[in-house]
Amino acid sequence: MKLGRNLYAMATIIVVCCLLAGFLAEWLDSGTGKDWHSLYRALRIIAFCIGTAGVIWLGWDHWKTTGIITSIAGQLTDEKPANLEINELSNAISKRLKNYSNKTEQLQRQISDLQIQIQLSQKQKRNTEAIIYSLRDPVIVVDELDRLLMANEAAGRLFNFDFQASQHKPIAELICCENVDSDKSECVELLRQSRQSKTEATRREIELQQDGKPKIYDCIVSCVYDDKQQVCGVAAVLHDITREKEISQMKNDFVSHVSHELKTPLASIMAYSEMLSDGEADDEKTKKEFYSVIQNQAQRLNRLIEDILNVSRIESGLIKVNKESVSLTILIEEQLHMIKSYAEEKNIKIIGQKPIVFDQVYADKDMISQVIVNLLSNAVKYTRSGGSVKIESDVDEIASLARISITDTGVGIPADEIEHVFDKFYRVGANKKQAKGTGLGLNLVKQIIEKTHNGRVFVTSQVGVGSTFGFELPLAAKEKVEAA
Amino acid sequence: MTKKILVADDEVHIIHVVAIKFRNNGYEVISADNGAEAYELACKEKPDIIVTDYQMPVMTGLELVEKLRENDQTKDIPVILLTARSFAISKEQQETLQISGCLSKPFSPKELLGNVEDILYSQVGN
Repeated sequence: MKLGRNLYAMATIIVVCCLLAGFLAEWLDSGTGKDWHSLYRALRIIAFCIGTAGVIWLGWDHWKTTGIITSIAGQLTDEKPANLEINELSNAISKRLKNYSNKTEQLQRQISDLQIQIQLSQKQKRNTEAIIYSLRDPVIVVDELDRLLMANEAAGRLFNFDFQASQHKPIAELICCENVDSDKSECVELLRQSRQSKTEATRREIELQQDGKPKIYDCIVSCVYDDKQQVCGVAAVLHDITREKEISQMKNDFVSHVSHELKTPLASIMAYSEMLSDGEADDEKTKKEFYSVIQNQAQRLNRLIEDILNVSRIESGLIKVNKESVSLTILIEEQLHMIKSYAEEKNIKIIGQKPIVFDQVYADKDMISQVIVNLLSNAVKYTRSGGSVKIESDVDEIASLARISITDTGVGIPADEIEHVFDKFYRVGANKKQAKGTGLGLNLVKQIIEKTHNGRVFVTSQVGVGSTFGFELPLAAKEKVEAA
Repeated sequence: MTKKILVADDEVHIIHVVAIKFRNNGYEVISADNGAEAYELACKEKPDIIVTDYQMPVMTGLELVEKLRENDQTKDIPVILLTARSFAISKEQQETLQISGCLSKPFSPKELLGNVEDILYSQVGN
């Protein structure tokens, strides 16, 4: 701008100077008579040109300034729409703020709901944990990376880890200490397989060592699914079925033994009958012998069936007990007479005891006779030739009890099996070959003495030395007083 | 020459009836009431055939056959097993131990005699 003003001033001065010089030249031309006409004309032309240029420049400058002013004015006139937008914006912002406020309220309500739900979930979780912790069966829950999520005390005990301080630890590390040969590694593998196969539930029997003893567990592994039906973990419940397995095995053994025991007399009956019908017994003596065998074997079959039924009846409480005052000494004498021939056959000496006068018990005569014959026949059965069986009876007047003991010099029972000898179908493993049996005789003894006569059975034994089986029954006087 | 049959069973009545059946049909019968005694008798008497019960005290029928097969003197003696248990022995075991036949109890003495004669007769034929 400054340069423009300077140029403008200079041009004005030059124009004025040129005009003055032209007037001076014209005056001099007319006054002096000298020819100044050319100079005068040239100066005028210069002044005209510069003046014209100045007018043009001024015009352009004015136009430019006018444009700027118009632009400013235009900008100034535009202030009104900008204010409108601000208002609109303000309104929009207010509206949005209101929306946000509403949403905030909604979110707060949702947060509140969620907090309630979290509290409920935590309560449910605590309840679930309480249920799982109270279960006697070991329970393990792992996440999708096979890390422990939850376990109960039973699981901690079985796998030997602190169930409350082991969360999020790898299950393999916890339960088999990364020992792949461990019997527990099968359980880890089952958890992994179930998760990978995404099977809803897998069931397998697993043998695990617990307290140094092998235990069989029924392991049920179920996948845990999230909201998207993706497997997010696995839950395993292990149920100890060792006892069930033992009972099942005992039942199988029982069926096998009973089948054998029933078939053996049946085989004799059928063979002798066939021989008779085929005329193989030609003389009367042989025929008589055959009939006798058939009769004896039929009775044997009947006794066996009775034993099985008696056990069943006593267990179900259906047996009728006819109690009366009986002398144990007399019952022993009667049964000794029956067992004597069997003992003589095996060359076993039976040692009796002098009769006791006051050994009256209030009991079912047939049932106690069955007990005595079972104990006596067992003693003879498991005693080798040349051995002996001793029967002792005793009366404890203070306790008002009569006690019978039958001691043999037989094979004896191992200490770890002695507690099971009265179990149904149980047969001492080492003695199975010694003699046949169904495993019902001693169970029947226990059922009769303890279940129907309020008595007690007992046993002591030493392998290779012999065993003492016996029972105690309340004396008749005491039993009658109590009944009254 | 009279054929000799060894009958092993802990049931004296079974031994008795089987022995009568065999003797009535011209065979010589020797008997044992457990597996161990039967093995000793088999070594000593070299019977032509053995009829044994499966379940016996001291040594079972199956253990008796196993022992017989281990001994060069008795390994070729044909054996018929009597059993009151249908699942007592598998086909594979029967083949491995070269058990000539199995009869379930209760059995017919006539059928047993037939089986014994079939085995003895086929041996003579061979």
